[in-house]
Amino acid sequence: MELEKKDYDLVIVGAGPAALSAALYTSREDIGTLLFEKGAIGGLAAVTDWVDNYPGFAKGVAGLELADAMRAQAERFGAKIELGEVMKVSKEGNMVKLETTSGEVNAKAVLIATGSEYRKIGVPGEMDYYARGVHYCATCDGAFYRNKRLVVVGGGNSAVQEGMFLTRFASHIDMLVRSNLKASDVLVKELEKHKDKITVHLGVTTDEIVGEDKHVTKVVGTKDGQKVEFPTDGVFVFVGLDPNTKFLDGSGVELDERRLIRSDTRLMTNVPGIFVAGDVRSGATLQIASATGEGATAALMIREYLENHEKTSTATVATLYGEG
Amino acid sequence: MAKDITIFTTNTCSYCGMVKRFLDMKGQSYQVVNLDEHPERNQEAYELSNGALTVPITVITKQDDTKEVVVGYNLGKLAPALA
Repeated sequence: MELEKKDYDLVIVGAGPAALSAALYTSREDIGTLLFEKGAIGGLAAVTDWVDNYPGFAKGVAGLELADAMRAQAERFGAKIELGEVMKVSKEGNMVKLETTSGEVNAKAVLIATGSEYRKIGVPGEMDYYARGVHYCATCDGAFYRNKRLVVVGGGNSAVQEGMFLTRFASHIDMLVRSNLKASDVLVKELEKHKDKITVHLGVTTDEIVGEDKHVTKVVGTKDGQKVEFPTDGVFVFVGLDPNTKFLDGSGVELDERRLIRSDTRLMTNVPGIFVAGDVRSGATLQIASATGEGATAALMIREYLENHEKTSTATVATLYGEG
Repeated sequence: MAKDITIFTTNTCSYCGMVKRFLDMKGQSYQVVNLDEHPERNQEAYELSNGALTVPITVITKQDDTKEVVVGYNLGKLAPALA
């Protein structure tokens, strides 16, 4: 569906915590703000079972509940969230042009807050059984494994957190960790409490996901050079994150070697008028609290940029912000 | 407009909320089957989705009574299925 309005002060790509925090600030200051979200509003926070380290919630908060509260707060001040995808971004004069599934949109400033998505392992069988035995979202798909065996692949915070969530359903979980657990000490201690249901296997690679008759039956791995097998009904994969920056190919926005977006101290990229915040920024700490903080900072920097944008010609903006 | 839309969901599924939001935005009414509350309907969802073990599963019955099943929150499939 085409958008009625084509020109915005600010377009935010993404609607996770950084984006919603920025939108709250900009909308509250009457900066016309449109967000595009191709996945879940709230981003990875919305698909996280439980958040214990976001300030203001003494007992913790469900990720979905936190995401929904952030959305409602931003919308309360007039932020508009469009369900769709931005395919391309380019700077044209002193405006930024965005090609989206809702048509072409122009913005005086753009904030990229697209976050990351869970990385695939890239082993045989993974895509063959996608959503049919191989999963990346415990809160979405865990309930299909009541009283069944599971394998969780990964040893970071997400793997441990989501593995513990899956004990609500699974009869037993084998956690396959390529090297050592890299989750926080707090989570590792929590994991200890689930040792009756979760067996952690350190130094095990995941080499293949095998199934029969449309069902996953086992995971094949390697430990100390020997082949090992883990019978299972399903596999949940949490082996790290990949930044959502593919749509920036050809935009001129500078990425680092991991395809995260480089920025200056104002959270502006090398392209004037295009800002970045949250997990997709090179140097980000991948915390919801820091993402919301970056969103707020970006909003203030964008306000300053827009004030100059209003006052000056294209040439002056270029001079002020080092374009050209 | 679709003749009938049924979404299979669970309590903790954020993408299910996104499907509902998308349908609300399109002015489409729908029924919700919460599989946490109705686990006896798991098999129905499984068969309709050709073996998917995930939610949301959206079953769209068109005016000519043909059915289209969209697995997951997939705007690229949901939007044309409503057309």
